[in-house]
Amino acid sequence: MAQLNYRTINIDVLDPESSINFPMDTLLPATLPAPTTSSDAASVASQVRQLLRGGDAEGALRHVLDTAPLGGNDRAKEVHLAAVVDVLQGIRQGEMSRVLEGVCTGEGGSERADCLMKYLYKGMAAPGSSGGSKSVSPQSTGFSQIQARNLGEGGGGQQMSVLLNWHEKLVEVAGTGSIVRVMTDRRTV
Amino acid sequence: MAAPEAHHLFHNPIADHSFSSDKSTLAVARDSNVELYQKSGNKFSLTDELKGHEKTVTGVDIAPNSGRIVTCSQDRNAYVWERTASGWKPTLVLLRINRAATFVRWSPSEQKFAVGSGARVIAVCYFEEENDWWISKHLKKPIRSTITTLAWHPNSVLLAAGSTDSHARVLSSFIKGVDTRPEPSAWGERLPFNTICGEYLNDSAGWIQGLSFSPSGDALAFTGHDSSVTVVYPSAPDQPPRAMLTIATRLLPFNSLIWNGENEIIAAGHDCEPYRLRGDESGWQLTGTIESKEGPGAGSAREESALHMFRQMDLKGQTQADTQLKTTHQNTISTVRVYEEANGAVRQFSTSGVDGRVVIWTI
Repeated sequence: MAQLNYRTINIDVLDPESSINFPMDTLLPATLPAPTTSSDAASVASQVRQLLRGGDAEGALRHVLDTAPLGGNDRAKEVHLAAVVDVLQGIRQGEMSRVLEGVCTGEGGSERADCLMKYLYKGMAAPGSSGGSKSVSPQSTGFSQIQARNLGEGGGGQQMSVLLNWHEKLVEVAGTGSIVRVMTDRRTV
Repeated sequence: MAAPEAHHLFHNPIADHSFSSDKSTLAVARDSNVELYQKSGNKFSLTDELKGHEKTVTGVDIAPNSGRIVTCSQDRNAYVWERTASGWKPTLVLLRINRAATFVRWSPSEQKFAVGSGARVIAVCYFEEENDWWISKHLKKPIRSTITTLAWHPNSVLLAAGSTDSHARVLSSFIKGVDTRPEPSAWGERLPFNTICGEYLNDSAGWIQGLSFSPSGDALAFTGHDSSVTVVYPSAPDQPPRAMLTIATRLLPFNSLIWNGENEIIAAGHDCEPYRLRGDESGWQLTGTIESKEGPGAGSAREESALHMFRQMDLKGQTQADTQLKTTHQNTISTVRVYEEANGAVRQFSTSGVDGRVVIWTI
């Protein structure tokens, strides 16, 4: 008889009724937009950068949020995230409130606000794009850090502070409800 | 608007509360017991305890006409309590569930009640004369996760259920011999047991925490952990709904809601105060809070003596303690119930929450 350690078998996987086997795609609404690819996202990104260069910050932000690849693959989402972060970094601090006011009002305004909140959290979760190579803790804390947070220094820290600024302004406009929806919504960006 | 009538019963969370039809008795779920309070003057005093459950009681409901109390608990049991000469007598209900019971409500006919559970079933319970006990039938089919809340349609056949799989569903709980055949409605014409009359998911998903049929039964509102309220107007059986309107709020999530007429919803939850929503099929919006924070005690700038101020600064490094919320409830509201109504128009409603308070509000 082969030695089989029954204690190590994860019986939940074998049970079709188990919560581990919960079909997550049942939480996606029927209104989910069609899948997009990274090349679609790249073309959107170039349009958006053009708008931004032309000085239309509000139009750029509006467009980039309206075209979020909710049904896209991971690559498309990554490309789009980079475009959103570029737009956010390209808007001066003094203009934030005015731009946000314009983007989050009118038809579909609250959807755009929720979408922007998703990007802020995703941006904060992602390792800083420019400071990503730096992966050692600045202080020898004794903790093994797999991913340095790079707060307050280097490129990643700068990106973080921009996102936090936007977060503060967005909460003023869209409220805490918007943060809650980032957690519940399965249409990830 | 009159000031809300607050009763601070104890320092424990209240999972659920229910008033008897004459409003003299208040049943409150506290830990593994249900406490009964009687109104004396303008206060409620503890008169009786219903002991029997072994784990936290999650739901309690008093039938308005028969006065029977049904309770359910995390110990997977439900009891029906009847008043006898020697006190309250419990009857065990055979729920046949292997997870906690989470929610219980009598049907408007009082012939049945429904128990939601973590076992992904709703037990619809009715009394069987032959064997002299309460037995249950399970609504099972499309439910993928724990049932968190239930609401009855006025016809006592249709049952709305909210679940942690983010869906609100309308199901038929028709039981032959107990129910009379219901009038056909927009929800369905023939309604055998476990007919699925509607299954709704809003865009931002989120666990459903509270739901309710409108007084006519022709609309369903549900609220979930995504800080939104969704109102559904069904069109015809097996057709997509005529309108499904989602109001995304900027507040913390609501836990419970009731209708006031066909054009107003009262919802309350993690923001510790009730809010009002108004609208119709063409659109709904949040109109504001029901609580007026102008009364005495609400003003945060109370006169403090200089000695007190310096003592506070010394002890806590602040001039005044701001641990009190300005709302009547001092913590999350978990249940909103109609207290007094006439023809679907609510005049008073009651709320209970984590702070151990039961508050009666006059609109």
